[in-house]
Amino acid sequence: MISKQSHLPVAILMKLAWRNIWRHRKRTLITLSSIAIGFALAVLMIGLGDGGHNSLIRNAIKLGEGHITVQPSDYQQAPGNHKFLAHGASLSAQLQDLHIPGSIEPRIALQVLASSATNAIGAGLEGLGAGIDQRALMLQPSITHGYWLEADDIRGIIIGDGMARKLKVSIGSKVVIMAGKQGGDSQSQLARVRGIFDSKIEALDDYLMLCNISLARLYLVGEGADASLEPVTRFALYLDDPNTMEHVKHQLQTALEDKHTVVLDWQQMMPDLVQFIIVDDAGNYVFLMLILIMVVFGILNTVLMSVLERTREFGLLRALGLSRRYLLLLVFCESLLLSAVAVGLGWLFGGAVHLWFSTYGLDITAMMGGNTAMMGTFMDPVIYTELSWSRITQLTLIIFTATLGSGIYPAIKAARVTPVEALR
Amino acid sequence: MALLTLEDITKTYKQGELLVHALQGIHLNVEEGEFVALVGPSGSGKTTLLNIIGGLDTPSAGTAQLQGTDIAKLKEVERSDFRLFELGFVFQAYNLVPVLSALENVELVMVLQGLSAAESRQRAEHYLQLVGLEKEQQRRPSALSGGQQQRVAVARALAAGPRLVLADEPTANLDSENAGALLDLMHQLSHEEKTTFIFSTHDERVMARAERIITLQDGKIISDVRTNKHD
Repeated sequence: MISKQSHLPVAILMKLAWRNIWRHRKRTLITLSSIAIGFALAVLMIGLGDGGHNSLIRNAIKLGEGHITVQPSDYQQAPGNHKFLAHGASLSAQLQDLHIPGSIEPRIALQVLASSATNAIGAGLEGLGAGIDQRALMLQPSITHGYWLEADDIRGIIIGDGMARKLKVSIGSKVVIMAGKQGGDSQSQLARVRGIFDSKIEALDDYLMLCNISLARLYLVGEGADASLEPVTRFALYLDDPNTMEHVKHQLQTALEDKHTVVLDWQQMMPDLVQFIIVDDAGNYVFLMLILIMVVFGILNTVLMSVLERTREFGLLRALGLSRRYLLLLVFCESLLLSAVAVGLGWLFGGAVHLWFSTYGLDITAMMGGNTAMMGTFMDPVIYTELSWSRITQLTLIIFTATLGSGIYPAIKAARVTPVEALR
Repeated sequence: MALLTLEDITKTYKQGELLVHALQGIHLNVEEGEFVALVGPSGSGKTTLLNIIGGLDTPSAGTAQLQGTDIAKLKEVERSDFRLFELGFVFQAYNLVPVLSALENVELVMVLQGLSAAESRQRAEHYLQLVGLEKEQQRRPSALSGGQQQRVAVARALAAGPRLVLADEPTANLDSENAGALLDLMHQLSHEEKTTFIFSTHDERVMARAERIITLQDGKIISDVRTNKHD
């Protein structure tokens, strides 16, 4: 029996593999270019997708209820005007004591019937706190008629142009806002239109009605709330660093949650938006799969061709004493190096594409027919590509695994070469 | 004890529906240091016999032993290691790895054997000098002539210190002058290094340099002649 065994140092293995992949320089360069271009396209698509989604999310959070919402525990399942946080002042103090970096905005949300002299429609009345309100900041530039609410205006409302058309009202018009009460009664307040906005988002323009929190609070008092306790429907929390959301949410749940109060993040508050993004992401993954197939066949073609061309050489190496294991390893290392160079080049191309579009962006208004509204929110008209570290890792691993995987079959084929047949 | 002992070696294989008897009852002993030529027409079984001795092929029956090791009974991995540590090969063509220089080609087998880089380099340079290619050691095979490539293959075969060098028609692609020079070189090194050579040829000018000529025909040894050409 033979006691000594063959030994191929990694340095020699890599040297052989490296020289082998450059044996047909043009073919290797063409393969690498196609992978790099495919990869750059994938980076662009994923970057634009993520940029678009993040833009939607950021705007949805601003127009909606913040990164984190504190509200009555059963409100999400069945909203109702009688569901509110009765002790708004003490909750607000508790929130302030937690020193969360960001802003805490008290809000009252009511489902009402808005009536003018000529028409009546359902509306969502949102009472905004006295401080800075993200939603107000977003909508203020969209005012087309009139002006924004003064802090001491207890009868003023801001409505969308869609609602103004339906109610046939203009600046200064009277609107009666009626809300149902628990038990079947109703309560009404008189308001005047101070401003009309055009957000280009149909859901907001037709349905949203904004007022100062003092007007909205009258309805909660009508439901039995004590005005001195500053009742609210919810607190919207806007975090300075959205990445801390999970941590802050946990902190709030520990501090505030009980059978009456719940802490929800934006994903729980806007499940439809999350679903939309998941479906849209799936489309991007299909595109990524197509690129992967192209990449896999590119590598497979190059490595397989090179294996089939070298049957005699493999026979020689086997005859000289190179084991099947080392031959398999050699061809696998060729794929490994090709993959590494391809991923490197891919990032060079993809990185350059990402750098361009993350700096200058892509104006999507023409593509979207002039309106970037969707899912009750909107995408910024110019999308900037965004790539998180997790995406970079994910893309690198997917491409690297795919390219490496495509080298398995050629490696097995090479290892199966029998010297006597190869050298015949 | 003979270096190589073949007992009743038979090789039969199927070619379509036809059963081909490539080797039929070969008995052969080769002593250490012999310089043996296997001759015979094409299809006489020379290459098949060399392949069986070299562990590249297995016999249908019979035993082939190199200093007591039954080559056919070795497992696949063991046969590979057997070739690496015990044998040297010189083929008719495609002898060298194209992406390696002459020096690296000679080093390769020693590296596979586990010799240190320094020792492999030293031995490779020495053997390339012996075959007269010290100035061509950095050239790749594509930059060497056919004769030079075969000399590199001889240097590689010897540098690894094998017990037996098998050369399958090593001069088939060379002109007479180069063929003669290569055989002279192999003969000289066989004596200097005390290495046993078995080579196949059907070139009469080449076989004339052998010390022992074994003639094969239809898979059988029909003559085994010692020519007493020891230097």
